Amino acid sequence: MDSPGIVIGFYMMAGLVLGSGTLVFLARNLLHALAFLVISFLGMAGLFLTLSADFIAMAQILIYAGSISVLMVFAVMLTPLASRDNGNTIYVLPGLLAAGGIATFVGFLALDTSWSGPATDFTTTIDLIGNLLLGKYVLAFEIASVLLLFALIGAIMLVQISPSDPEEGEGR
Amino acid sequence: MTDIFGQTLNLNYVLLLPEIVLLIFSMLVIGIDAFKRQLNISGNVPVGLALAGLVVALTLSILQVNMDEDFARLIQVDSFTSFFRILFIAITLVLIVGSHEYIEKSVSHVGEFYGLLLLATVGAMLMASARELLTAYLAIELLSFSLYIAVSLARSDRRSGEASLKYVLLGGVASASLLYGLSMIYGVTGATQYHEISAVLSAGDTGLTTPLLLGLVLIIVGLGFKASAVPFHMWTPDAYEGAPIPVTAFLSATSKAATIALFLRWFGGPLLPIASDWQFILSGVAVATMVVGNLVALQQVNIKRLLAYSSIGQMGYMLMAIVAVGSGFGSDATSAVLVHLAGYIITNLLVFISVTHFFNQTGQEEITSFKGLAQSNPYLALMITAGLFSLAGMPLLVGFFTKFILFQAVVSAGHLGLVTVAVVASTVSLYYYLMVVRQMYLYEPEDGTEQWRLSLTGYVTTLALFVSLVVFGLWGTPLYAAADAAAAGMF
Repeated sequence: MDSPGIVIGFYMMAGLVLGSGTLVFLARNLLHALAFLVISFLGMAGLFLTLSADFIAMAQILIYAGSISVLMVFAVMLTPLASRDNGNTIYVLPGLLAAGGIATFVGFLALDTSWSGPATDFTTTIDLIGNLLLGKYVLAFEIASVLLLFALIGAIMLVQISPSDPEEGEGR
Repeated sequence: MTDIFGQTLNLNYVLLLPEIVLLIFSMLVIGIDAFKRQLNISGNVPVGLALAGLVVALTLSILQVNMDEDFARLIQVDSFTSFFRILFIAITLVLIVGSHEYIEKSVSHVGEFYGLLLLATVGAMLMASARELLTAYLAIELLSFSLYIAVSLARSDRRSGEASLKYVLLGGVASASLLYGLSMIYGVTGATQYHEISAVLSAGDTGLTTPLLLGLVLIIVGLGFKASAVPFHMWTPDAYEGAPIPVTAFLSATSKAATIALFLRWFGGPLLPIASDWQFILSGVAVATMVVGNLVALQQVNIKRLLAYSSIGQMGYMLMAIVAVGSGFGSDATSAVLVHLAGYIITNLLVFISVTHFFNQTGQEEITSFKGLAQSNPYLALMITAGLFSLAGMPLLVGFFTKFILFQAVVSAGHLGLVTVAVVASTVSLYYYLMVVRQMYLYEPEDGTEQWRLSLTGYVTTLALFVSLVVFGLWGTPLYAAADAAAAGMF
């Protein structure tokens, strides 16, 4: 963890995340903001790599930088009435103050504390995660799968026009 | 079987049978409902399947009452779990039997609705039985997700979508806060198992008070949202008002009870060694909840909003007892909470099912629309009056008995100040419950005195709830014994 390469990598990734995060709300065009968000996601994946969490890093790239950002691009493109303009809001100052306050507090907390945790180094985490998910945590894995199934059903139900609903009119 | 760290795992799936059965039936209901036109089956099949699943799961839970075994260190099936399993299944059963006419008439996607109710029940059961933080978190999400969807299903009611959106957005923030708090606890203790956390924390000064305190605050924010404790209650009236009435009842019964179960599991277990750190926070939250909930209820005009604020006030009483759990009176205070919870749920279900039938007949939910109900349907007026009086804590009804036990437990734990607030708040609550009663008995009905009746299932459920309201109010020993056994399993 403390080799100079990792430390340099950490600061580069941290700078990338913070810089592109700032640009997300400075960018006036929503699509530009989204592009910066993707860069921020990628930087986050890099941070996970410096923590030797290779599986999480890959998942971050696949899920956040890949699918979720594409979903958001679709959402922006497919809502013609929505403004593409990332306008000003009166909450800029309170928002900045709150974010700064929380960041300072959590930062001090993180530096001030000697966190406990598993001391062993893992060369790769993927087989470990697989073993745990289908062994010790098999129940949690199953709960998560049911949760996702119902989230899917729920999403379909919410957007479906009910055929028997008189108010929505058009039967299917 | 052993895991990769060499710990033996007890993968005895029999322990999870009630949950598994409910999940299978929940998917069956949804699957069959999706193909009901092709299979050419009648509309009664989904509700029948849901009820069958609940009855089987209830039987299995009753068979497991005396167990004390863990599943893979994630779930503990003990008497506490059994108490809540039976409670949750019974709630869903009574709700479906009591309000199936409403569901068929005023809910879109009937089959999915029953499936979601069963799934939410599973989530609540897992919340009460988890013995590890991640499983508990997933169980919370299972309950919340199914309710987010169920809240939006009121047919042709624009408030329903709004309610669901508010509930989802605020619920997401609360879940994030909860998860962050849990990560703080994990960071300090290096464990997610309840008993390991408790061992690390009781081993003495970890020198990590600040992150621990941050974790506690965030956990109280997250759980407080689910329990609609003030100041995290803002979503409650809107979600209650917009949701279909059975979902409102479910929110006020199962969702609240599951959160209280989790409060008891966490604050009476892993977090008990640091009770002095969270007691003052929870005391403040409890006082605010009792005062604000009961005072704001005074100015409500919609019966669902009134009951929302009343349930906020009731949560305050129970949070107050959780403060007492931290004072070393764990077992007494826990059984008092369980007794009060059971009494509160019986009462609340009676009120909500009566309101459901009132809505079926009149399509209205303003308090003024209850005018003259004593003439047009004296039976229903009596049921609502009994329920409201029991919520206010009038003698001879279950609400008095359970509130008495609850307040007594908190006093003997040395929190006289809290109980004083609770007694005053409880007196205030009598006023707004009486407002509804006044509408029913002192005014003439607006559109004639035409009498109307409930359906058969309506009579059966309300009568059963009314009888248990009175019987437990006069003779609470069985309730108390069950709660005592459940609390004994935890400490």
